[in-house]
Amino acid sequence: MSTPHDTELATAAGDGFDHLIHAPARLRICAALDPVREIEFGALLTLLGISKSALSKHISVLAEAGYVTQRRAVRDTRQRVWLRLTDTGRSAYRGHVAALHRIVGNTRG
Amino acid sequence: METNGPIGTGEASVALASAERTRARVAWSGYPAWYWLTTGAGLGALCYAALLPGWWDLAIAALTAVTLVIVTRAANRARGIRERCQRGAMTLRDQVVLGGPAALVMVAGAVASKFASWSSIVAPVLVFMVFAGTGLTMGARAARP
Repeated sequence: MSTPHDTELATAAGDGFDHLIHAPARLRICAALDPVREIEFGALLTLLGISKSALSKHISVLAEAGYVTQRRAVRDTRQRVWLRLTDTGRSAYRGHVAALHRIVGNTRG
Repeated sequence: METNGPIGTGEASVALASAERTRARVAWSGYPAWYWLTTGAGLGALCYAALLPGWWDLAIAALTAVTLVIVTRAANRARGIRERCQRGAMTLRDQVVLGGPAALVMVAGAVASKFASWSSIVAPVLVFMVFAGTGLTMGARAARP
């Protein structure tokens, strides 16, 4: 339950807070993709420990927003999907993390 | 689930902690055991090479460096992650945790070899054990749900 103080804090976060990224699974997807160039779909599945269908759904949402791109490549005779954050996605994720830091009163973000 | 309501400090803290845990998992988990063992052995070889006379040290150092690059690329392929050239998933703190103790042993080994009777194989073996041990431990810890 949010208090008026919470509302104030959310407003204080200002620009950068991204409701699309803030969903728990999508935040973790972006957190995994941010520090690397690309992650294979299967590796991301193992890292996050969520179902394949849930991951596909969240990736689709992020891709539609232009935050994530997918690339198909054959490795060891099997086709694999590699995922990466776009520049827009990386900037949105970092802005969101900075907004979260501002909300908790930590300005290092 | 979309989140459209206001966000409080508690929820923001939870979100930040979750993002940090995920980053740490990307940084440490998924590496095959052979990566930590081979890299530890390579660093041990570098430590040993530093004590050799003449051009042997440079030759072994160059060969080991090339091998380490190949091993790192193979490990990243195996774990399905392509790291960036600069600023990977490991933070500076992670890098200090991983490489700091091994670096200290290298320096201590080099100093000890100058001033005391010290077997040249002790430091390389310690470097291998410390690096591989840290990597395997941190990897196993990060892989925990």
